[in-house]
Amino acid sequence: MSNAGLAQFQQVFIEESLEGLDTMESSLLALDEGGDGELVHTIFRAAHSIKGGAATFGFPEMASFTHEAESLLDEVRGGKRAIDKPIIELMLRSVDCLRGMFDRARAGEPLNDATSDGVRGELAAMMGREAPAQAGPARRAGDQAGAWMIQFKPHAGMLASGNDPLRLIRELAGLGELVVEADLSRLPALARLDPSECHLGWSIELKAPVRREDIAAVFDWVEDECDLSIEPKPTAVVTPAPAPAAAPAPANIADAAAARGTREASAESSSVRVAIDKIDSMINLVGELVITQAMLDTFREEFDPSRLPLLQQGLTQLARHARELQESVMGIRMLPIASVFNRFPRLVRDLSQKLGKQVKLDLHGEQTELDKTVLEKIGDPMVHLVRNAIDHGLEVPEKRRAAGKHEMGTLKLDAFHRGGNIVVEVSDDGAGLNREAIVRKAVERGLIKSGDGLSDEAVGDLIFQPGFSTAEVTTDLSGRGVGMDVVRRNVSDLGGSVVVRSKPAQGSVFTITLPLTLAIIDGLTAAVGEERYIVPLVSIIESVQLKPDALKTVAGGGELFRFRGEYLPVLRLHELFGCEGAKRTIEDGLLIVVEGDGSRVGLFVDGLVGQQQAVVKSLEANYRRVQGVSGATILADGSVALIVDIAGLVRLHGRRKAA
Amino acid sequence: MGKKKPEHDRQPETVEIGLPVDCRMAAQAALLSDLLGALDAPATQLDGRAVERVDTAALQLLTLFRREALSRGRAVSWLGASTTLCEAADTLGLVQALDLPVAAAA
Repeated sequence: MSNAGLAQFQQVFIEESLEGLDTMESSLLALDEGGDGELVHTIFRAAHSIKGGAATFGFPEMASFTHEAESLLDEVRGGKRAIDKPIIELMLRSVDCLRGMFDRARAGEPLNDATSDGVRGELAAMMGREAPAQAGPARRAGDQAGAWMIQFKPHAGMLASGNDPLRLIRELAGLGELVVEADLSRLPALARLDPSECHLGWSIELKAPVRREDIAAVFDWVEDECDLSIEPKPTAVVTPAPAPAAAPAPANIADAAAARGTREASAESSSVRVAIDKIDSMINLVGELVITQAMLDTFREEFDPSRLPLLQQGLTQLARHARELQESVMGIRMLPIASVFNRFPRLVRDLSQKLGKQVKLDLHGEQTELDKTVLEKIGDPMVHLVRNAIDHGLEVPEKRRAAGKHEMGTLKLDAFHRGGNIVVEVSDDGAGLNREAIVRKAVERGLIKSGDGLSDEAVGDLIFQPGFSTAEVTTDLSGRGVGMDVVRRNVSDLGGSVVVRSKPAQGSVFTITLPLTLAIIDGLTAAVGEERYIVPLVSIIESVQLKPDALKTVAGGGELFRFRGEYLPVLRLHELFGCEGAKRTIEDGLLIVVEGDGSRVGLFVDGLVGQQQAVVKSLEANYRRVQGVSGATILADGSVALIVDIAGLVRLHGRRKAA
Repeated sequence: MGKKKPEHDRQPETVEIGLPVDCRMAAQAALLSDLLGALDAPATQLDGRAVERVDTAALQLLTLFRREALSRGRAVSWLGASTTLCEAADTLGLVQALDLPVAAAA
């Protein structure tokens, strides 16, 4: 198989294995909560598939790691050992290690690290303690040598079982340079040959400083179908090798680097798995489209005005099919949010154990679908919110008891559609936001002068300000200096918003509102001179027309205007983007008050043209990245309008102010 | 795949055996019978130019055929071999036994 071909399969293997790891994790968590023994089989099967795939697709380290985990599971499955907390704990950590290995495989980095070596050791130790007979297994893990001699004699039936020595030796070649000598001594006469039987044997020298287990992992699936011996090549033979024999080493490194390069390249091209019914419905729509087109085609040959209604009907159909097809194609990018939610049972379990809190996790709306890109980026902000909720929101059992609540706190994750948006809520029934502490901190930081007259929403909003953290004690969970401002920035990068509602002693609800897709945005079209700009609707607070005296100029040339009790900077789009023929006097134009990156600014434009849905075209892909612009779209008249990147503009303004 | 006796005015008595595009296990019963038939001919020319897929079983069969033909004093040569075939033979250490061009294996 070519490298490109293998890389393609590796990609699929990695994606499937990550799903397998999710299955292992959720089953382990279910076991932890007293699930039935069938779960052990599920976990074993997932591990077994990963091991087999890893060996096949050139990840021997992963295969050997999974082999250890699988052996332990096998003991549980076979009744030799009862499943208990320490085993579940260790298996969960093994799942983490494997996830790390897959990440490193995607990045083209060495798969093993100190953690995986440690966990592998623990797996072996756990089996070794109760199974002293296996204390000295044939495979000496970690045994290392500069070069190896491998004697590989497949049993006659190996080929028939689908295992091909050609593939195994190719895989071995992935570890380093090979000198392969075939043993033909067992070949029968041609007339007596059964082509499905293997009579060849091999003596292989592997010139690479790898570990024995890395080699053994290649043969993992055929260990019962061959005679195999792996011995370090005597150093006496290796050491006298002067310059010529040493020469292959750089080549090996180059080979390995090339192989990693392929993996890296494959990691960049992410893919999406699509349910077959979505594809069927699309094919169906394309069929309809073709029929309509054929119908319209008849008008080309002969047009009789009496058939005008038919033409109109055809065009209406065409428009409907095009829209349905568009929705259908967009639907391909939509995936259930379950893939993000699924990581939380584990997180909640680990955190609550660590903090001595009791937490019940309630998941709702897992089947709500989100754009794949949004889905990939919403995970981190949600993890932050969940950590915060457990760390700061939910109280320890004693406090809850004292407050008359159930000892076990509830953390609820919910996802649902509202309007054209997806709403994700993270709510807890904990202590709620501490208004006094927030106000005190905000005053300390100079964010506000005093808390008097501030609404609860305004106080809640303070926690999203950069650098704001009220954790009384800095734990290693939250309070690392990156706080809610990062959550807000991540969410606003996705074109969404996040707000908090909180009631003392009753808990908090963080509501993330996200666009359905990043491919189409709702925006207001604003005119600036001859140009048109699209301002994303989600960032707009309101638009105002200023009186001439409402504008204040401050030292350094900045302009400010007063908006609901606070002074906001004015950003003149015609200056920022160099538009000619734009209005310059403040009372002639309009200020669109927008919020991005946690700050509000007023964008000065000539006026508003209208509201429209804009199909986002990447500026980066078609031209180059432009600061303050997130993309472009094509207007109905065929002209190009740039989409304003509010957060980018705010940051740009901040930098100019600082400069 | 096919066995044919070329016209008598060119290389008489030479059997030419074309290896199939997919030269793996499933193709080998037919290939084995062709090769067994070719053992009687004074010379055999193998054509591996079309081979795109190959496995150990195929290379084992070809190795065995060549060894047996040579031991009977027959000539076995290659009309050509695909890179896939040469690479597979190289991986299995059978380039010499099959007398395949090493250069192509590189």
